Amino acid sequence: MSGGANTPLGELPGNPRAGEHGARSCGHPVAFGAETKAAFDRLLTRYPTKQAALLPALWLAQKEFGWISREAVDYVASLLELSPAFVWGVVTFYTMYNRAPVGKHLIQVCTSISCHLNGAESVYAACRKKLGDLKPGETTPDGKYTVVEVECIAQCDKAPAVQVNEDDFFYVTEEKLDDFLKGLK
Amino acid sequence: MAGLDPIPPVLLARAGKPDSVKLAGYVADGGYVSWKKVLTGSVSGEWTPAKVTEIVKASGLRGRGGAGFPCGLKWTFVPPKERRGGKPVYLLCNADESEPGTFKDRVLIEQDPHQVLEGMMLSSFALDVKHAYVYIRGEMWKGAGILNEAVAEAEAAGLLGKNILGSGMDLDITVHRGGGAYICGEETALIESLEGKRGHPRIKPPFPAVWGAWGCPTVVNNVETLSCVKHIVDRGAEWFKGIGRNDRNTGPKLYCVSGHVEKPGVYEAPIGIPWEQLLAMAGGVKAGRKLKAVIPGGASAPMLTAAEVAGVPMDFDGLAAAKSMFGSAAIIVMDETTDMPKAVTNISKFFAHESCGQCTPCREGTPWLNKALKRIVNGGGKRTDLDLLLSIANQMGNGMTICVFADAAIAPVLSGVSKFRDEFEAYIAESPAADAVLPAPGGITAKVADRMAAGMHD
Amino acid sequence: MAKVTVDGRAIEVPDGANALEACRAAGVDVPHFCYHPKLSVVGQCRMCMVEVEGMPKVQASCTVPIRDGMVIRASSERALAARNATMEFLLINHPLDCPICDQAGECKLQDNAFDAGLPVSRTSEHRRLVPGYERTEIGPHVVADMTRCIQCTRCIRFCQEITGTGELTFVERAGHTFVWTHEGKPLDNDLSACAADVCPVGALTVKEFRFRKRVWWLDKTRSVCDGCEVGCNLSIEFKDRIVYRFTPRVQPAVNDYWLCDYGRFLSERLNEPGTTRPIVTGPGGEKRETNWGEALDAVKAAVDRAISDDPSRVIVVGSARLSTEENWLLARLFRDSLKVKNVEFAVDEGPPRRMKRGNDWVYGTEAAPNSRGAEAAGVRRSVSGDGSRLDLLLSKKNSPPAVLYVADASLSDRVSDPAFVALLRAASVLIVHARVKNALSEAADVVLPAANQSGKEGTFVNRDGRVQRFDMAIVPPPVVRTDLEILLHLGKLWGAFDTAWTASDVFGRMKGSVSGYADLDWNSDDLVGNPPSASITSAYDVLGLERRPEDEVFTRPSVTAPDVKP
Repeated sequence: MSGGANTPLGELPGNPRAGEHGARSCGHPVAFGAETKAAFDRLLTRYPTKQAALLPALWLAQKEFGWISREAVDYVASLLELSPAFVWGVVTFYTMYNRAPVGKHLIQVCTSISCHLNGAESVYAACRKKLGDLKPGETTPDGKYTVVEVECIAQCDKAPAVQVNEDDFFYVTEEKLDDFLKGLK
Repeated sequence: MAGLDPIPPVLLARAGKPDSVKLAGYVADGGYVSWKKVLTGSVSGEWTPAKVTEIVKASGLRGRGGAGFPCGLKWTFVPPKERRGGKPVYLLCNADESEPGTFKDRVLIEQDPHQVLEGMMLSSFALDVKHAYVYIRGEMWKGAGILNEAVAEAEAAGLLGKNILGSGMDLDITVHRGGGAYICGEETALIESLEGKRGHPRIKPPFPAVWGAWGCPTVVNNVETLSCVKHIVDRGAEWFKGIGRNDRNTGPKLYCVSGHVEKPGVYEAPIGIPWEQLLAMAGGVKAGRKLKAVIPGGASAPMLTAAEVAGVPMDFDGLAAAKSMFGSAAIIVMDETTDMPKAVTNISKFFAHESCGQCTPCREGTPWLNKALKRIVNGGGKRTDLDLLLSIANQMGNGMTICVFADAAIAPVLSGVSKFRDEFEAYIAESPAADAVLPAPGGITAKVADRMAAGMHD
Repeated sequence: MAKVTVDGRAIEVPDGANALEACRAAGVDVPHFCYHPKLSVVGQCRMCMVEVEGMPKVQASCTVPIRDGMVIRASSERALAARNATMEFLLINHPLDCPICDQAGECKLQDNAFDAGLPVSRTSEHRRLVPGYERTEIGPHVVADMTRCIQCTRCIRFCQEITGTGELTFVERAGHTFVWTHEGKPLDNDLSACAADVCPVGALTVKEFRFRKRVWWLDKTRSVCDGCEVGCNLSIEFKDRIVYRFTPRVQPAVNDYWLCDYGRFLSERLNEPGTTRPIVTGPGGEKRETNWGEALDAVKAAVDRAISDDPSRVIVVGSARLSTEENWLLARLFRDSLKVKNVEFAVDEGPPRRMKRGNDWVYGTEAAPNSRGAEAAGVRRSVSGDGSRLDLLLSKKNSPPAVLYVADASLSDRVSDPAFVALLRAASVLIVHARVKNALSEAADVVLPAANQSGKEGTFVNRDGRVQRFDMAIVPPPVVRTDLEILLHLGKLWGAFDTAWTASDVFGRMKGSVSGYADLDWNSDDLVGNPPSASITSAYDVLGLERRPEDEVFTRPSVTAPDVKP
């Protein structure tokens, strides 16, 4: 069925976090490689139900396939004997499962209160402007950078706090923004 | 007061040491002595689960996650074995630290993971737990990696697994990463998320101690709480009780200070030190400016003005008496340069994003508050807006919702709008729509809203 | 049982009930959305707020299990204020679609807004939008419009708990939450339209009914599905001789609150143009329309002739689609009065239909509702070893029947098979009751136009042996007769019956000799089941208690909607 674009609180389509609500197709079926499948099998031994392995399985899927496509949802659902709609409901509840490909550097700028008190909103705006007037959640045309706004990431004493992929960056003020971006290869 | 005298660091004793995350260093510093003594003592009968629970109860330890519920008492809500119908008991370590202003659990996990694990192990012994989980927020990639390695080290050293140290006790710990949702820090939402679902909080009762993860008795404890357990078993209940302001506020506490201070960071001190002492530890207000307001317990706590926070003991009862809450001890300091309406709007955005969406007052109320506040700070406010905000907030909390997220969401609005009303009115005075009037609400609701407001601020 | 007090009235309530049900038992209809007697309790809508003595905060009554001695205040100012608050929250984002929304008139949001909420709006903010998720088909029978959704999760729980198919889920979170399917897996199960039934607003509506009729114009009659032998209770909803839809009637003994898609959409069958006038065939094979007198005389003549020759060459075929009363008349006339031995029926094996009853699936494998009634009425069930049941009946190869009287020209799907029609046509005289024109009625010598299921009353016996009465909705057109009337008029020619008999008279006469009917009363509520309810999602049946008119004044503090009589 048609998926549409929404504009939740300022975020626009193309945002891998909150863009189209229908699952996007990656164009081909997917399956775990041997190593990931082994990790998945180990996962299943840690929980009393298959369903409990859903969040970790989605992490494995995101790592392996890059993002959670419609095919990834169908695949994970089949592995865990859940309905695909249920899995999609879980994927869209949490912010960190990407439902579209993201840039090489997923720049997550915190704008919660402590960072807000240290100028986070202007860092977020400036970061997007410097990367080519990106809209919130948009990826640069060369696929290198995606910029999203996130809520508190528990680095309040080092505000303004930014996360890029899995790494933490501290004191990323507007003045330090250029250096920060330069450091992202 | 003796209990508030400075003490050498307890929870942060090993933070900052080289290789503080490694098992070898932890053991060298006296780690896992209690775990081993309790296990070997369990065989001789010298140590029993009830004994550990009693010690934790006697220590007066109150949950460090935000609710401040007495930890040992919560443990006793788990039914005894003969009334469990064969169900296992689960221990879940709540590492979903997402309350704005809070970053102490991250420090504990990243700097001294074995302290947390030993706390989990001792608690598992007390609760007859065979499978324990750490639910860590998805954003803490580093912390999850560190914990996984620590668990692997513990397993390799025979401190986890089957028949640990010949005691007959089995225990395994699994690190479970969340997907990014503040509400999963609420214990029943955490359980739902662990079970592989959307993080919707459950109706209580039944409480997790009776019916939790997979329908089994479950205890959810915060990272810092479990770390305290380790030290309580190490050094005894009396030692723990001897630290802190009084019998109801005991033990060392990690304070997270952020915002407009010179030295934001995590500070360890006896629980209940006065506000001024804590502010001084954090280097005072930034650039020597004047204090305007403090949020003492994370974004969910009512704001206090500079006058209201003066002299307040920074603990559960002290802040409750000041009509706020201690929460996660996340102290957000706002100086005189702070635009309060924008700060309140920023916090309302957080709650509008993080509501789980299942129940009507919160799902509809949090965005309504946010939209109205944004409109005000963007220059479209009306004179009727402020009372409207209070009215909306007053009909969201107090049992209207399944969980207390709504009560948390309204606290900054209620306290911010009423205590800094002049700043909001200043925005509205500049608004071209200031005098626009919506029809007044009909009889009963205005009356009752006032009454509910009176109840809130009692 | 437990003693509970609601708004000062003391009542007894079964253990295990919740406070919402207790209020219902005391005559207090607490507004609610997400609660449904057959679905899990989630307590999400927060509409059913009450005060419970001893609990400091207002409570969602559906989440409070009752205890002996509980005191509930469902109509206190605090409870009302709480409900007003929830209603206000629901209305700030709900679109003003009532003028174009099918649900109007049977919408719980409309109904509850009369009881609770402010008469004016206090918001000037932009409403939540879900572009791309409005008025879209999410399944073959259901149209979804997510601007209207109030996130009660009834539809999601229905698909998870009742059908077990899980096509629906919440998507996104917080204020953006809505309900949808996953790409490539539409809402497509055998009870899919029930998801639109449980939806309290117009977020899910039935595609086939969309924009056809405002529900307050619809007349409703109690009937029973004739699609299979499960016998689901339904309501024929019609206006001015057009049937607009079927909706389920609550019947815990058969179909709970549900209706399968197959049975539900048989409603359109009742709008098919029927046969209009009796037809007889002249000596040269030319067919002409005629009146009932001539047609029935022709039947009598043919039957008399054949019986005097050789009664064994008269074959009478009853039908599992006819009522027990009609089958009984058939047997009384031909077998008892005219001494014809071959009075048989056969019923197709249909594709298996299933219905959820409680936690179990029950199955219907026959393509007609009343094989057990036909059999009990004395029409022999024709069975054969090789599965071609009716053919056994007819395959007396050496001598095709002199008269073949088929009381239902749609007796089998095989009437679309020319070979089957030819088999029946081999009879010298072929007489049929026909509701619609088909190959068999075209081939018949005498066609007696019969009313369709909306024009009749009678009883069916379902797979469990339960006798259920269905009522007439639309008086058949002037020249069409019900099968009952046809048989009475025919039988009168032999002096066997009186044309003044109604279906209830026949019922009374046959009771003594039809197994399962002895102790039944045509007029009892048990026989006909629950009335079509203005909102089938109300918690009527749980405690088996009736609505007492005097209770209405007990609690309504504000404007009361005009009571819609079922």
